Amino acid sequence: MGSREVSWELLQFGVAGLKNGAIYALVALGFTIVYASTNVINFAQGEFYMLGGMFATFVFAHLGLPLGLAAVAAVVATAATAVVFELLAVRPRVGGDPMTIIIVTVGGSVLLRSLARHAFGSDELALPAFSQGGSIMVGGAAIDRQTLWVWGIAALAVAALWVLYTRTRLGRAMRATAVDGEAARLVGIDTRLLVTVSFGLAAVLGAVAGLVVTPLTQTAYDVGAAIGLKGFAAAILGGLGNPVAAVVGGIVLGLLESLSVAFISSTYKDAIALAVLLLVLFLRPSGLLGRTRREKV
Amino acid sequence: MNGLDWHEGRVVWERKPGAPPPAARAKKGNATRRAAAIIACSLVAVLMAGCSAATAPGTPSSGGSGEKKSTYKLGAVVSLTGTYAGLGQPEKNVIDMEVERINAAGGINGHPLEVVVLDDATDVKKAVSDTAKLIDEEKVLGVLGATGSGQTMAMRGEIDKASVPQVSMAGATVITKQFDKWVFQTPWSNVIVLPLELKYMQSKGVKKLALLSDSSAFGKDGVEVAKANLGKYGISVVAEETFNPGDTDMTAQLTKIKSANPDAILLVNAGKEAAIVVKGARQLGVTAAIYGTHGNARAEFIQGAGTAADGFVFGAGKVLVPDAYGKDTEAYKIATDFVDRYTKKYGAAPSTFAGHAYDALYLTVEAMKRLPEGFTPEQLRDEIEKTSGFVGIGGTFTFSPTDHNGMTENDLVMYKIENGKWALAQ
Repeated sequence: MGSREVSWELLQFGVAGLKNGAIYALVALGFTIVYASTNVINFAQGEFYMLGGMFATFVFAHLGLPLGLAAVAAVVATAATAVVFELLAVRPRVGGDPMTIIIVTVGGSVLLRSLARHAFGSDELALPAFSQGGSIMVGGAAIDRQTLWVWGIAALAVAALWVLYTRTRLGRAMRATAVDGEAARLVGIDTRLLVTVSFGLAAVLGAVAGLVVTPLTQTAYDVGAAIGLKGFAAAILGGLGNPVAAVVGGIVLGLLESLSVAFISSTYKDAIALAVLLLVLFLRPSGLLGRTRREKV
Repeated sequence: MNGLDWHEGRVVWERKPGAPPPAARAKKGNATRRAAAIIACSLVAVLMAGCSAATAPGTPSSGGSGEKKSTYKLGAVVSLTGTYAGLGQPEKNVIDMEVERINAAGGINGHPLEVVVLDDATDVKKAVSDTAKLIDEEKVLGVLGATGSGQTMAMRGEIDKASVPQVSMAGATVITKQFDKWVFQTPWSNVIVLPLELKYMQSKGVKKLALLSDSSAFGKDGVEVAKANLGKYGISVVAEETFNPGDTDMTAQLTKIKSANPDAILLVNAGKEAAIVVKGARQLGVTAAIYGTHGNARAEFIQGAGTAADGFVFGAGKVLVPDAYGKDTEAYKIATDFVDRYTKKYGAAPSTFAGHAYDALYLTVEAMKRLPEGFTPEQLRDEIEKTSGFVGIGGTFTFSPTDHNGMTENDLVMYKIENGKWALAQ
């Protein structure tokens, strides 16, 4: 194996890692946003990812809308589902024991999965690629066009979130609530409304991630649990509650998985990634970027 | 909904209102009730999912009232959820459809047939508990299943303990190679499929082969069988990679395979991951031919992989292109009749997995027909073993005390996907 070949391989592993990492980052952001407003892990986050893909394939295949409209409809429908779930199941518990809300989100994830199975069936569903054409070759590594969409949409979502957090009243209110919910409430911020908004936003990010990868991976009613675990791991790896850390955690996790296949073994890919996660938490209990949490949020 | 699920449902239900801590309940009684109602709703949904999977077709047990003869009860363990849902659902469809047909035609020697179908969720532990439930509570005469190889093997302990025959619909060699007198197998096992495929590869000039498999029992078994037979066909392995069931990106594994520059890739995977692998390989610019197995004989695979599926080669039974049976044969008539009825009822042509369920059910039912009133599971096992020349969908079955698969290479053909359709490979 010559050195030139090694370098295209490395590049290809990097492309794969960054593609998965971008998806993990979006899901991790969903965890982080809900955590910031409620101090609770939303275990239904993976189901938002599933719903994004399922709604998109349904609208595209059965209602015959163009792909772009189907994607928008899927995001809106997922966000609406999340908001309804929050209003019915989470809001009555806000301010109470966080453990109760966690259990409610676990129940919600099971409920959403079962409903999706009854509504859409148990077979995997496919969506066509967003743009046609072969892979683009860069330095010997092939980059699929859909991967460019993944990166582009993930970058757009992160940028939009950044603008929301730093340039709008709503964003400032969310940051204030994350720092101290009680103080935020005292200065007149409607923290209950913010919890609803955070579920909606988390669902938008999850749905975007789910529908943009569906052309690559297909989707099914049961894909949420696995991606939820990955996104959760990414959020913890970066440092829970910090949007920048969620993105960093997602990308690091994606690259770790890809490189462990490259240099160690594909069989132990998930085990290696989780072992590194544990190691990081052991050395830095608040995550890679945990220390800067207060200023960033 | 059978009595068992109601029973379980009631237990969960009663436990629920007590789930939130008492302190919280005192503080916000109303909200607690609402939250409890939500959790209850979600649990009901889960139970509904479980129940619809467990709904038994056929008539309920009459318990011998009047002149009606008692119901013969069989059990089935299939994967209606999880990785193998796409295989298990058609299997359940077939069981529902054929039990209805058998009962409409007067049942088994006048006895109505009931098959209790349980979902193992592609989980080996669930398969074991399902089996125990079927044997201990449903008192079934025999068990069909499981869908997957790992699940099939895990059920063995319960099967042996209770001395009840099991007819599996899973394809790993180990199921019949690790011989158990109670266990039969309807799909062609890897040990029949893979040598045929390797022979075909040799005829296409393949010398360097890359192996890519999932880490399930079926994947591991396939790789072992392939490696044990490669030498005979002058083929060597240049790369060997694995992935886990449920993985959604195999780019890294395919990158390593691409750099090994094989003539062909052999993919051993019966789940939905196969489409991702094939698509990923083409996106990476891998030009080597990709071979699958009888685990990929599903329309969803082609739908998922799209144009990347074109050129994909695999060996499987003849039901995908029934002309392969030969037009004047009994097998052709049985298969086309089955395909027509299934297509009419479910709106899509059956996969080979549907055929495995047909074979498992009728192998058992035909044996039951040959037995006298009041037979035992042990007699049923002996009778299934005496099956000779049974013409099914997967092929013509002849079991013996040492062969519980009964299939040969002659029951298989090689397929190539062309323009999104199965065609016989030349």
